[in-house]
Amino acid sequence: MTAPTLTLNALRAAFAVALVVLAVAPFVFGATEIVLLTEFMSMLVLAIMWNLLAGYADIVTVGQHAFVGVGAYAFFGFAALANLDPYLSIPLAGIVAFVIAVPAMALVFRLRTAYLAIGTWVVAEVLMLGAGKLEAFGGGSGTSLPISIVLSFGHARDDRLAAIYWLAFALAAIALAAAYFLLRSRIGIGLTAMRDNEEGAAAVGVNITRARILCFLGAAPFLGMAGAIITLQKLRIAPPASFSITDWTVFIIFNVVIGGIGSFEGPIIGTVVYFVLRQYLGELGTWNLILLGTFSIGIILVEKRGLWGLCRRFLADDLIPIAHKPAAPKT
Amino acid sequence: MATNELLSVEGVSVFYDKFRALDRIDINVGAGEIVSIIGANGAGKSTLLKAIIGQAGRVEGRIQFEGENILGRATADIVAAGMMLVPEGRRLFPSLTVEENLRLGWAVGRKGEFGFAELWRLFPALEERKRQKAGSLSGGQQQMVALGRALLANPKLLLCDEISLGLAPLVVNELYALIPRVKERGIGILIVEQDIERSLAVADRFYCLLEGRVSLAGHPREATREMVMKHYFGL
Amino acid sequence: MAGVWINQILQGILLGGLYTMFATGLSLSAGVMRFVNIAHGDFIVLACFLLLILTTSLGLNPIVATLVILPVAFAVGFGLQRFLLQRVVGENVLLVILVTFGLSIIIENGLLEGFGADPQKVAGGWMETATIGLGGGINMGLFQVVTFVAAVAVVAALDLVLYRTGIGAKIRAVSDDVAAADLIGLSSVRIYAVAMGISFVTIGIAAGFMSIWTDFDPASGPTRLLIAFEVIVLGGLGSMWGSLMGGIVLGVAQSVGAQFDIAWQMLAGHLVFLIVLAVRPQGLFPKY
Repeated sequence: MTAPTLTLNALRAAFAVALVVLAVAPFVFGATEIVLLTEFMSMLVLAIMWNLLAGYADIVTVGQHAFVGVGAYAFFGFAALANLDPYLSIPLAGIVAFVIAVPAMALVFRLRTAYLAIGTWVVAEVLMLGAGKLEAFGGGSGTSLPISIVLSFGHARDDRLAAIYWLAFALAAIALAAAYFLLRSRIGIGLTAMRDNEEGAAAVGVNITRARILCFLGAAPFLGMAGAIITLQKLRIAPPASFSITDWTVFIIFNVVIGGIGSFEGPIIGTVVYFVLRQYLGELGTWNLILLGTFSIGIILVEKRGLWGLCRRFLADDLIPIAHKPAAPKT
Repeated sequence: MATNELLSVEGVSVFYDKFRALDRIDINVGAGEIVSIIGANGAGKSTLLKAIIGQAGRVEGRIQFEGENILGRATADIVAAGMMLVPEGRRLFPSLTVEENLRLGWAVGRKGEFGFAELWRLFPALEERKRQKAGSLSGGQQQMVALGRALLANPKLLLCDEISLGLAPLVVNELYALIPRVKERGIGILIVEQDIERSLAVADRFYCLLEGRVSLAGHPREATREMVMKHYFGL
Repeated sequence: MAGVWINQILQGILLGGLYTMFATGLSLSAGVMRFVNIAHGDFIVLACFLLLILTTSLGLNPIVATLVILPVAFAVGFGLQRFLLQRVVGENVLLVILVTFGLSIIIENGLLEGFGADPQKVAGGWMETATIGLGGGINMGLFQVVTFVAAVAVVAALDLVLYRTGIGAKIRAVSDDVAAADLIGLSSVRIYAVAMGISFVTIGIAAGFMSIWTDFDPASGPTRLLIAFEVIVLGGLGSMWGSLMGGIVLGVAQSVGAQFDIAWQMLAGHLVFLIVLAVRPQGLFPKY
């Protein structure tokens, strides 16, 4: 066994161990860590979805906070205003995000590439401004989540944190699995082929337009459910916070770019790096963003496939192999 | 080799990634000389022209123009020094007018005596259409614009890449009738062409490329059809 | 009552002049280089802060200050394209979007660090307060009228540069076919840089007018980008005069929306944009 393969196997083992530990995290860690890990899981979901869209489906969205916000508001609507079961309200929030995504897609798909990017931003602005007009949801200043809903996830604080954590963990796990199976499917292969080479997709015989629609609409419910879980952590909704471009789009883009856009591992690595940096550098506020921005521009100039792209120069294979083919034959 | 040598290519190889598209090519062109490069599809003919004009990937060897090294120099410099390409497929700018397309040739070029007056004399059909969008012209007219654009750069050496491609035989005849008139001005011409007979008929010398190497070189009159065919297809 | 609406529409048209200025440079860079500079709005705001320093610390007249920053703006645009964006341009639009997006965040937070979050404004002196009365209670601000005229002049000048000059023909040639341009010795790298330089000159001009017209703060950039973007899509991509029309449509939509409820100003503009995108994706005044 060669050294790179050994390293790779060690990494895979570490990944598997991490998964197991995360699955039982509430039994292992204290409250502070669980809160942080919950946040990590929701950020990971957002990163996976953004990577799927920008890294594979050629949909560079700068407006993904739209669906996070829609999910937050929908969750509040179902749980607090309609008094539905809070657990049920989470998938319902996902469905609302999906429903909103249909007309949004019809509009922004009329634009291409960079125009599409800003188009998604406009849609997000409209939804945020629209949310501020909903009086039942506290209007422009937002409102808090009723305490009864919070308590329905557990009366003891630790139980509650654990319940919310497992929800976030489950969502992240499903998102990861969904992305994995999508990318291994014919659609995923077609998207990868299109990304790497314009003519490639036609050769694979995948309808690219349909594949892009599938990705866009498929990502929305995950973003919406992440929005619901984020609301459970933040305990309130407000237009600028629930639809925060900085938190749910800017940081996510930086994380994925740094971790490695267009790779399955990228969003995971990027989100880990982000949380590690945040823990060690502390809350740097504006400098945090300046550093991340500079760092990600640097990464793009050095290795456009991010940190994972750098690692891959020394590793024999991906951590989680998606490609069926061994190595692409040179023409 | 003449004393009026314009272009000298020595041991030039071109690589795309690991693939070697040209393998130690030697060719030269003198002033007022028509040199033809023939070869099958993929033999490396267009790559050679791109290497000379400074638009190929990784190039090794020596390329000299009027005794000065031009390998590694920017295309804009090479063009300003007196070399111009008529690209394969014409490559006009379709949304620009005929006149604007032509003017670009003058703008990038050497600023010599060949101006618009001469151009309209050579291509009267273009003057009537100078305000039209280049994209609206017929294929033959577009090729005339491409040739005219190159001539307005006042090149000492003209590189012609597949100028007959996709054109009707009558139009090709017309174009090839112009080549000797260009030569009379003392301009060296390097022609890349798949139409062997057409290009050998007009050439003073020729090179045949096969799989990235020169497989045959000489004067068209001395080369028999069989010899050319053999080195063209490598049979 | 009708007077109120006529007045709002008139103010909207004038506002459209300012919006057109935001858009012209973006239209040029997007049309030529086929990517949208996401930091466009932030560069406008950066220029506004530069003007603030020049007018307050050095006591320069705002007009002089604007003239001073124009060559600087050209150099910044030229250098940005030549030394940063050129490295990622061409192979994949995604990378350019990400780099300009990163720049946007860096500028916004850099300004926040340097100037704080408070709204700022450049004092325009008498220009700001003078009005032109049209009777019937309708007044136009002199400065707003001057801005509109200047916007028309900027559009006309850009149109002239693009369609009547040598560099304009080169820019359009590169926009048509980059590879062909390189083959005939038109250096696309250089022409891209010049085009970005020109785009940044319009950013400087827009900042000159915006810094007097409204308050600005470090987070004002994205809104300006969205406005510029909506204007060029409304007007029809790549059409300079279309940008003027797009600017007016957006300005009137916002102004009329604000008359219903001040909070509706931005939303009304976005909605008009989305409606047009839905029914006429080629824009209201497509070029071809």
